[in-house]
Amino acid sequence: MWARSVLGIVSLALVFNDALAFKEQDFKTCSQSGFCRRGRALSQRAQEAKSAWQSPYSVDPSTISVATDKAVVQAGVKSSLYPEVNFGLEVRIQEDGAVRVRMDEVGGLRKRYDEAASWALISEPIISKNIKWVAGKKDLRASYGPNEVVVSYAPLQVTLYKNGKEQVVINGKGLLHMEHFRKKPEPAAAVEATPAAEGQEQTVIEAPENPRAWFEGADEDALWEETFNSWTDSKPKGPESLSVDITFPNHPVVYGIPQHATRLALPSTAGENPTFTDPYRLYNADVFEYLASSPVSLYGSIPLMHAHSEESTVAVFDLVASETWIDVSHSTDRSTETHWISESGILDVFILPGPTPDDVFAQYAKLTGTPPMPALFGLGYHQCRWNYVSSEDVRTVQKRFDEENIPMDVLWLDIEYSVDHEYFMWNEKMFPDPVEMINDVAATGRKMVVIVDPHLKRDNNYPAFTAAQELGILVKPKSGEGEYEGWCWPGSSSWVDFFNPNAWDWWKSLFKPYQLEGGKWSWTKSTEDVHIWNDMNEPSVFNGPEITMPKDNVHYDGWEHRDVHNINGMLYSNATWQALAVRSDPPKRPFVLTRSFFAGSQRFGAMWTGDNLGTWEHMEVGVKMVLSNSIAGLSFAGSDVGGFFGNPEPEMLVRWYQVGAFAPFFRAHAHIDTKRREPYLLPSPYKEMAIDTLRLRYTLLPVWYTAFRETSVSGKPILRPQYTVFPKDRRGWEMDDQYYIGGSGLLVKPVTKKDVREAEVYLGEDEVYYEYFTGETYRGAAKGRTVTVPAALDQIPLLVRGGSVVPTRERPRRASGLMKYDPFTLKVALSKDEGARGELYLDDGETFGHQRGEYVWREFTAVKSKKGLRVSSRDLGSARPAEAVEGASPGLTSYDRGNKYARTLEERDVRVEKVVVVGVKAKPKSVKLDSQGGKELEWEWTPGVGSKEKKGGRAGVLVIKDPGVKVTQDWDIVIL
Amino acid sequence: MVPWLLLALPLGATAAAGRDKLLGVHPSALAKYTPSKSNTWKCLDGSKEISWNAVNDDYCDCPDGSDEPGTSACPDSRFWCKNEGHIGAYIHSSRVGDGLCETECCDGSDERPGTCPNRCKEIGEAYRAKRDAELKIQKTGSKIRSTYIAFAHKERKRLEDLAASLEKDIVAKEKEVEKLREIAERTESLTQAALDHKRQSPLYQSLLNHNKALKSLKREYKKHADREKQLGQILDSLRTGYNPNYQDMAVLEADGEESSTPEPESEKTEEAVDDGLWTADELDSELDDLIGTDYTSLLLEHEDHINTPTEDSLLFKITSYIPDAWLPQYEAWKDNFVDWLEKLGIVSEESSGSSTEATRAQQALTEANTELNHMRREKTESESDVLKIFNPEHFGAEGEWKKLDDTCINHEVGDYTYELCFFKEAKQKPNKGGSNFSLGRFQSWNKDARPGSPEYYSKQVYQHGTRCWNGPERSVVVLLTCGVENTIYSVQELEKCEYQFKGTSPALCLPPGKEPQNHEEL
Repeated sequence: MWARSVLGIVSLALVFNDALAFKEQDFKTCSQSGFCRRGRALSQRAQEAKSAWQSPYSVDPSTISVATDKAVVQAGVKSSLYPEVNFGLEVRIQEDGAVRVRMDEVGGLRKRYDEAASWALISEPIISKNIKWVAGKKDLRASYGPNEVVVSYAPLQVTLYKNGKEQVVINGKGLLHMEHFRKKPEPAAAVEATPAAEGQEQTVIEAPENPRAWFEGADEDALWEETFNSWTDSKPKGPESLSVDITFPNHPVVYGIPQHATRLALPSTAGENPTFTDPYRLYNADVFEYLASSPVSLYGSIPLMHAHSEESTVAVFDLVASETWIDVSHSTDRSTETHWISESGILDVFILPGPTPDDVFAQYAKLTGTPPMPALFGLGYHQCRWNYVSSEDVRTVQKRFDEENIPMDVLWLDIEYSVDHEYFMWNEKMFPDPVEMINDVAATGRKMVVIVDPHLKRDNNYPAFTAAQELGILVKPKSGEGEYEGWCWPGSSSWVDFFNPNAWDWWKSLFKPYQLEGGKWSWTKSTEDVHIWNDMNEPSVFNGPEITMPKDNVHYDGWEHRDVHNINGMLYSNATWQALAVRSDPPKRPFVLTRSFFAGSQRFGAMWTGDNLGTWEHMEVGVKMVLSNSIAGLSFAGSDVGGFFGNPEPEMLVRWYQVGAFAPFFRAHAHIDTKRREPYLLPSPYKEMAIDTLRLRYTLLPVWYTAFRETSVSGKPILRPQYTVFPKDRRGWEMDDQYYIGGSGLLVKPVTKKDVREAEVYLGEDEVYYEYFTGETYRGAAKGRTVTVPAALDQIPLLVRGGSVVPTRERPRRASGLMKYDPFTLKVALSKDEGARGELYLDDGETFGHQRGEYVWREFTAVKSKKGLRVSSRDLGSARPAEAVEGASPGLTSYDRGNKYARTLEERDVRVEKVVVVGVKAKPKSVKLDSQGGKELEWEWTPGVGSKEKKGGRAGVLVIKDPGVKVTQDWDIVIL
Repeated sequence: MVPWLLLALPLGATAAAGRDKLLGVHPSALAKYTPSKSNTWKCLDGSKEISWNAVNDDYCDCPDGSDEPGTSACPDSRFWCKNEGHIGAYIHSSRVGDGLCETECCDGSDERPGTCPNRCKEIGEAYRAKRDAELKIQKTGSKIRSTYIAFAHKERKRLEDLAASLEKDIVAKEKEVEKLREIAERTESLTQAALDHKRQSPLYQSLLNHNKALKSLKREYKKHADREKQLGQILDSLRTGYNPNYQDMAVLEADGEESSTPEPESEKTEEAVDDGLWTADELDSELDDLIGTDYTSLLLEHEDHINTPTEDSLLFKITSYIPDAWLPQYEAWKDNFVDWLEKLGIVSEESSGSSTEATRAQQALTEANTELNHMRREKTESESDVLKIFNPEHFGAEGEWKKLDDTCINHEVGDYTYELCFFKEAKQKPNKGGSNFSLGRFQSWNKDARPGSPEYYSKQVYQHGTRCWNGPERSVVVLLTCGVENTIYSVQELEKCEYQFKGTSPALCLPPGKEPQNHEEL
């Protein structure tokens, strides 16, 4: 016995040393997954049959029921394969023109999972009362504006037209197939097992020809059981998969369906010469050392896909929570075909008609919500490591940051803070004084984020586990009895089932930093300055199939894990978010970081791209992954600075800080095996470069915060890839290495390659751009132009689009909260028409006061006229109160300029200390504050190129010193 | 609306006008902050001339930031807090007006009036109390340190004396060796032929064969033992150093099996001993002796044994008649006497077999040589130890660390006790049993500091400890400060297998007044 295990260890040791890579064998390919195999085979048969192929599904016209008061139509659907099975179709048109197509089996043996929408959507979408369905002989039609939706009866097909042109076609390729519930056939073993008498010719009993073979294939494939590696999925419900093809006949490029480590414009997986041979997979998984280019599923799933062309942007949102595979191909260079294969659940597809990217963002936000205004500190710099090992360590790290005067908002604790990986429970040997430690960190305006994972160690002395056990809210094994046991960090663990409503109140109570009445356990050894990191919520199960839970595990109400897998992680961060919001009175904005996510997760905090590697290619793909999340609604995203695994060389770390500083979520993190790499440990001159980058992030916090206001209201992403800003510019469609930050006019192209000292930046318009630091001018062209920008190691290619006003705070401090009364600097970058516009949004960054009207929202403009250049500040809160903030209290219809927050800024004399006008060709004659009887201001002009000119070179810059105006106030500066 | 707007108009300028122009200026620089006759002022780097009004107006005019000593306007300037009643200090401009009342600026002069109360009195008192306490420790510590230094001097004396006496002994020994060599050479030539004949004996041949077999068995035994040890270590390090991020259940299981196995080896081996057979330990130690047997000598002794009469001579029996107190002198006298008798050929004439005589001579020579080498080595060591004692790169310029050479101190954290033996090795010992890990052997003092400086002795580096499972060799950095005891008070594994010990030692307590001054006092 002993000898055997030793041999085992030795051979393991050999395996380990060269196993530092993605473990391909741990995860399924399509061919290893029964329903994906069936789905792809269906597609293959359709292709081979060519025009002879026809979908067996059709609408029974006699069953059509058109609602009279709203745009809803219901109809029965039949499949010619199974005439005895009934399906119900419902097509709704929402107020904003989005189309919802739902189909379910009616009166079947069981019920398909239909609750994904209740978790992903913010509310039941409002159906249009004006748009009318008209039932014809061959189809149902509804027209509105340029759009028309057509539901053809035979075969069943749903098409969205715009101006008579096909935008989105469902089941146009006839791949729709909803496997109905059926009884497991009795084993016919007795007959077949009879051995034919020896020597006799075996009588071949002709099986009756399967009339459905043309569609479903001749053989049953993995309908009732499936084995992968050592795990067998018992599939008690049998086959219930769902295949649907969605075609974009006039859209050549598609984006979205995060999370995959690949380009933003999705490479093909089918058709001729596909980039990837496997479909994109959505099945939340803890993938160890994932590949930097792959369609393999990662930690989260958002089944939203944009399809884009010069004429329009449309999207489909396939609201399904089970494992889903998506093939993408282009049969022509102007079309895209997609095939979605899901393991279970109803068909619930939203067609978002666009027609612009911004419209699509708004339509999607209306369904799944927007990111709320984050706590301001969440936009600062986060310092993490697996692990800061003691409270002494934490204090030392903070001290080192202060000694070097490096801004930092949050210190993080990974799993080793807890004793035996029992989250909430401090390892008191290393953290003897947790509350004092947190208070020490908070004393400089900082916060802590502490990890709490969803697996609970099965330890009868662990209050979280015993309480969950008592409440009966743990996920059950396939038997449906008892508790599922799996392995994770603490060893044998169980998982809280957040589909169980009883789990929620209990979870909320745990985070109360004070003793609860009745003596129930709560986290008294924490404070309101502790926020939460939810990791491993795919869920990650070390000894489970594909490092996750068996699909036949049982959740609340009897649903199988297979039905809910992809939304499981979102429920966890949702519950934590709510727990933090209600732990204090009045409530404060929570910060929750999640690794797993689904459509709607944007409402519950930030995400990051998981356990990346410290390599240049991971740095590069991290940018693309964050962009992909941004366009799918989850803007508050970032990847680990430095890479989780490995020891990045100083140059790489400097570049990675530059990447991180231009991502919404900015955190450095490192694996336990790596060397320490806090920025102060870098050798000179790298250290100074990293610190300068961190300070730049802090000076730009007003830009980030203002961008968050916009996304919180409109759903427009924080990071905006080229196609979303210039949808008609073909040259920008494939670009995913440069992007704009909100509506600020900042265009950044982080360097993600070694030894690169120059960057090619693409300007998709005829406009002047200015290098952020030097004012060097770069001019675009109507057809687009690529310009070369210097990118020495201490330089981030960062341009300001002519026509923007960028508000900054040039006094970076130790933490963002310490800057709240600092004055602003306005960078007015003149356009070629000598105008500019920008916004600034401010609130307390902490409470929900903004929803009660406690905020300041300003607009800055520069307008050229015969009377000179007028730079003005106006109040946007009063002008557009209804669209100022997300979640505004009902009844808040006007804006009070004297609100509590604005008054604080008044009292603290928060000024605009400097106005920098870039692109001023001639030395001004005078610069006056218009509102104070023409008071002449102090200013300085540096000669250079004007914004209107064609030539390059440094821009002429006018610096106006302290105009003596408050940020809350309306003012005008006239430059003659 | 209108009144509100009017309210908004009084501006920052008014607030700035009231600001003290000299706020935040260090007393020594006050003279530099005076306006010119035309009411202008030059940035301290001379790069720009600005209006005197622009000094401390909360707007950064000078590229060097010198115009804003009292505000946060310039990103990299410093603010001088007077801290009357305590110690004046600079704070970074990023801390000016940040709303925090930092201890470094206890007078609150960096914040808006009314934000921070002047806490310099209490902070100053607390500081002084703390400093007094530290001073007391330092004083006590430095007294202990002076005993360390005295010890070093004694050690030097002792080692020098030792070296001197060894020198004498070496000279005597050298003479003796010379004499013995002559005797040995003389006897050897006579006996070679006789010896060759005796070696033909079947007994001798058989002994050689046995020896060969023993050697082979021992080689195999050692091979297996090494392997077993190695595997044991792998399992041990798996248990302690297993990297859970590999998420490999096989490792966990294998580890589980191993640790759940009761440790059978020690018990079993003890049971197995009977019939006078050797235990594993005895096997280890005795086998080597056995293999190393000089069979030629054995052969000769064997002959002697056969040929000698069974009675011992009177000389050897006399001890029984001598009082115990005289015994040592007698024994010494006897040894010398017999020795000389042999060397002079008086006794040897009586013993049969000249080969025995040759072997004995040879043995005597070898022994003497060994002793001589030993003495020489000892002498070299003492000499080099003397040099190390006062070498700044070893035991310090005053030899203050010599006392701690090989002193061991412990600290318990969680499931482990950490042991530090100064200048030797650091170890991790599991409290619940299991094998110890070396965390490294002493390598150097703080290489980033000048040898001899206090910083140099504030850090010791121990390296090349047991290699971690799938990781680096363990190592330790020991950070030391002055304290009245030699202790470790904190052990942290800041990076995988890289430990940081924090401790105190009186050896670092310089007499008060001798240490470099860090603080400026008002």
